[in-house]
Amino acid sequence: MTHPKRITLVSGLRAGVAALALLAAAPGPAEASPDGATWSPAASERLVKLPPHMLKKAVDRDFQASGLAVAIGDAGTRITAKSQTLRDLRDAATRADGDLRLELQHQFLAEKQVYIQMVGERLELRARQAETRKVLYERLLEKLRLHGAADDPVTADLVARQEAARQRFDRSVDAVDMQVFGGEFAPQSRYGAEYAKNQAAMDRLLTAIEAHPMNQRPMLDGEEVTREDYLRQLVADAEAERALVAQEEQLLGYMAKLVALDAMALAENLAAAEGGGEVVDGGAEPSLAANVDLFVDNEAF
Amino acid sequence: MTIPKSLKSLAGGGLLGVLLVSAPVAGAEAGSLENLERERAILVTTLCAPDLTPDERQKKVAQSKHRLVDLERMVIRDKSLHGQNTPVVRRAFANYDLTFLIHAAVENERDIVDHWLDSLGLSTDGLMNARVGRRY
Repeated sequence: MTHPKRITLVSGLRAGVAALALLAAAPGPAEASPDGATWSPAASERLVKLPPHMLKKAVDRDFQASGLAVAIGDAGTRITAKSQTLRDLRDAATRADGDLRLELQHQFLAEKQVYIQMVGERLELRARQAETRKVLYERLLEKLRLHGAADDPVTADLVARQEAARQRFDRSVDAVDMQVFGGEFAPQSRYGAEYAKNQAAMDRLLTAIEAHPMNQRPMLDGEEVTREDYLRQLVADAEAERALVAQEEQLLGYMAKLVALDAMALAENLAAAEGGGEVVDGGAEPSLAANVDLFVDNEAF
Repeated sequence: MTIPKSLKSLAGGGLLGVLLVSAPVAGAEAGSLENLERERAILVTTLCAPDLTPDERQKKVAQSKHRLVDLERMVIRDKSLHGQNTPVVRRAFANYDLTFLIHAAVENERDIVDHWLDSLGLSTDGLMNARVGRRY
């Protein structure tokens, strides 16, 4: 007679095998989560104007404050706890014998299945983060290009004229000061005097700003790069993160497959132990020749 | 490590400072170019006014000149005009000698009136050779 508990165990394992096979076959693309695990950063003008290294920090801070970051953190904590549970179950199963060992092996596989689901969900969240980050940096890069480029030939011509005018103007400032304000009875205007004073103060401030460590140009591999280059690197980093997540999904798929195989092996062993899976053996084929005597001898009659 | 609130607000203030420096001040862009053009029109009117005595004209021109020097400098330093593709700004920078009349006159070592008339294409010879007639 088969034990009812064992029936449950075997059917549970078979169901687990099917579920794991599905998980292994199709890790699945990221879907919109209804759990509030979202992050919707805006490619604002403020971000475009920030110094590059502060830009990344601002984006990181924005992410840390999002529901997506909280969900990733929570999932990480739960995965860590689940890893410990798996280690404990494995150790316990190694030490146990008989039915208890079987029960623990079953639990171990079931917990592995949960672990794989949890890691899969976290990978999906990480992929979402990488994708959002990539899109954000690409939008910022586009805005930066729009800022930097002269919009049209007319504007470009105007900017060139303004620059030429500024240079020409600067050359005549001293002469105008001498001629218009040079006289004893014509002191410099209030605007001129205040402007000069403020300009001197601004020059000092600009020097301090230039030398400030937070205002250094972005560096990549020890080399100074432009803001655009830096943003392009951030896009590439986000792309790399996405590729790594995809690889980890593949890794998880293999883990799921292995768990499925373990589950099948355990189910097979269990069925063998119960005898339910054995073919009924009728013993050796009865030989007619050996039984001829039963027909020749008529002693019973 | 938690950042004190006061430090956060200071950092926020720094960012605000960055924005203030990079963004034009709304009040300052309320027409530095228009002010310059108005003052220049007053100067030209003074130069051409037939009812002023030479002394009165000289005094008024001197006052106007001082104001114009400042206004021209305000315009050339006005960052809000940089790349502002409007007809007024385009016209102003298309003709430096008329827009920055005082600086251009000093640069060319000419009197303001002469420089202004010359920039408009009016020379003494041209005026002397001109004749009154109907334009068809």
